[in-house]
Amino acid sequence: MGERGTSAADSPESQRYQQLYDMLLEAIPSSVLLIDRDLRIVSANRNFLEKNRRTLPDTIGHRLDEVFPAIIIDQMDFPGRIRQVFEKNFRVKGERMTYRAPGIPLRIYYYSILPFSWQGVVELAMLLMDDVTEQVRLSEEVRRVERHLASVVESAQDIVLSTDMEGQVLTWNTAAEKLSGFTLYAVRGHNFSDFCAGDDQGEMERIFANFQAGREAQMAEVDLKTRDGGRIPVSWIFSPMKDHLGQTAGIVAVGRDLTERRKFEAQLLQTQKLAALGVMAGGIAHEIRNPLAVCSSAAQFIMAGDLDPQFQKECAEKIHAGILRASMIIENLLRFARPSVKPDIKELNLTTLLEETLSLVTNQARIDKIVLQAQWPREPIMISGMEGLLQQAFMNLLLNAIKAMPDGGGLGVALGQADGEAWVRISDTGQGIAPRDLDNIFDPFYTTAPVGQGTGLGLSICYSIIKQHFGTITVESGAGQGSTFTVRLPLL
Amino acid sequence: MTQRNNVILIVDDEPDMCWALEYILNKRGYVTCKALSAQEALELMAQQQFACAFLDAKLPDMDGLELGRLIRERAPDMRILMVSGYFYRDDVSIQEAIARGVIIDLISKPFLQAEILRVLET
Ligand SMILES: Nc1ncnc2c1ncn2[C@@H]1O[C@H](COP(=O)(O)OP(=O)(O)O)[C@@H](O)[C@H]1O
Ligand SMILES: [Mg+2]
Repeated sequence: MGERGTSAADSPESQRYQQLYDMLLEAIPSSVLLIDRDLRIVSANRNFLEKNRRTLPDTIGHRLDEVFPAIIIDQMDFPGRIRQVFEKNFRVKGERMTYRAPGIPLRIYYYSILPFSWQGVVELAMLLMDDVTEQVRLSEEVRRVERHLASVVESAQDIVLSTDMEGQVLTWNTAAEKLSGFTLYAVRGHNFSDFCAGDDQGEMERIFANFQAGREAQMAEVDLKTRDGGRIPVSWIFSPMKDHLGQTAGIVAVGRDLTERRKFEAQLLQTQKLAALGVMAGGIAHEIRNPLAVCSSAAQFIMAGDLDPQFQKECAEKIHAGILRASMIIENLLRFARPSVKPDIKELNLTTLLEETLSLVTNQARIDKIVLQAQWPREPIMISGMEGLLQQAFMNLLLNAIKAMPDGGGLGVALGQADGEAWVRISDTGQGIAPRDLDNIFDPFYTTAPVGQGTGLGLSICYSIIKQHFGTITVESGAGQGSTFTVRLPLL
Repeated sequence: MTQRNNVILIVDDEPDMCWALEYILNKRGYVTCKALSAQEALELMAQQQFACAFLDAKLPDMDGLELGRLIRERAPDMRILMVSGYFYRDDVSIQEAIARGVIIDLISKPFLQAEILRVLET
């Protein structure tokens, strides 16, 4: 409720304006004070009174310093500013004021002081105060949340980045900078695909095209380029970023550096390979020491001297043949045992690969009284793949078959091509696999072998190697019926 | 028929191994007979008597130790020796076979001529 000391005219028209003015004054969510030259309060609206827990009688006619705490008056220099308003018709706009009235929590206001002039003379100063405590608090909260989110993204070990729908980089966190060596500045606005390794760029572009076609989250393994010309393997999850209308506004990518995992996988492969070598060791020893024994005997015959020249020649020939045989075995072994540091994909003939692999276990099979039956196709079966890995996969299948026939049996190896696929079938007449084990045999560490005789890694490694080659591996077996493992791989 | 006391049976699926053993023994005056499988060896056993046998550990149709047991059943007095690249001296199965009297000893491949002759002549 205002005070009306200054309103003289009581004409109906001015009464009408007065009423409108009062209504406006009461309705606006701001505090409004009218102050005269002596810094006395002439009018105060309801908002002011409520906010400051005052009544009209203890406000109207009182000086400013009786209503506001001295500290505010001094800090804001109200008297000075109001004087300027009166003297220079000066307006103070949009200043911030922190106000603590006794007994009420801290409030923050934006205030303006406006001159009210009538016929060229400033009669009153109008102090307008907007309570922005909530807004300030909210925006501070927003900033705090923003800072928190930013620091979550920034301190993540994983790469977190975002792009627009076309795939241009918008943000790129510290992990991305560290791993790639490219700063946000260097990548912002560029196509994300440009920072993927050359042979992976197509894949990346396909992923963006999928998003444009409305696809949801996608996963991929795409290598990231590094500034020093290298590349890092990264496993990505790409998700559409939705705006408040549910429209896809961009793409968020979270990527994990796979370098360590790759190293670990390579180690695991090597460990399993060594375990497989252990299984073969007996056969290998036997197979190498036989030719050695022949060589040694023939050499002793020659050393004893006094030989018929024909027999002496025979001895030399036996020595030569024995050495060749032993070194062949060692050569094959080395090739199998050596870790494939950077397995490279090349075109290879599956028949040759299987022949070589089978030759490594022939000794073991013979020792275990296993009859080998191989059906080699006449034409080469060309696929593209990593030789060392495929050999390891087939070796595991062959060794498993041999292990399943401790009392001898038959081991069949057949391969061929059909419907754009190469197939390899490895079958045995061994103990077979019980139905309840069938579901588990491809799991890592699942083994029915006694302690020390199986790691349970063979088939899980087979599975992952064949999967890496976009192939499949299936098994048919029943307890006591032998087992047949079939591997299918895409033809070249 | 040869004289029973110095005929020696050589069983190894590797012809060159038989060749070497035959030469060593024949030169020393022993008469030898070779078999490339356990089956062949048992057939020969049925036809004649041997003073001694040299057995390979892994034959295509049977383990050497198993053949040793079968021979021992038929000829309790025969000297049976295992010549092998598969086993090593301390192998449990070898120790056991020696303890049970199935074989007299194990000779590892490769071997010296003297080792072969020594076990015959002590
Ligand atoms: N050819 C087979 N015949 C019977 N069982 C098999 C065959 N191949 C695999 N298995 C079963 O699958 C299990 C897991 O095989 P694998 O992963 O190679 O481990 P491991 O050979 O070390 O036991 C084996 O323990 C065995 O029970
Ligand atoms: Mg296995």
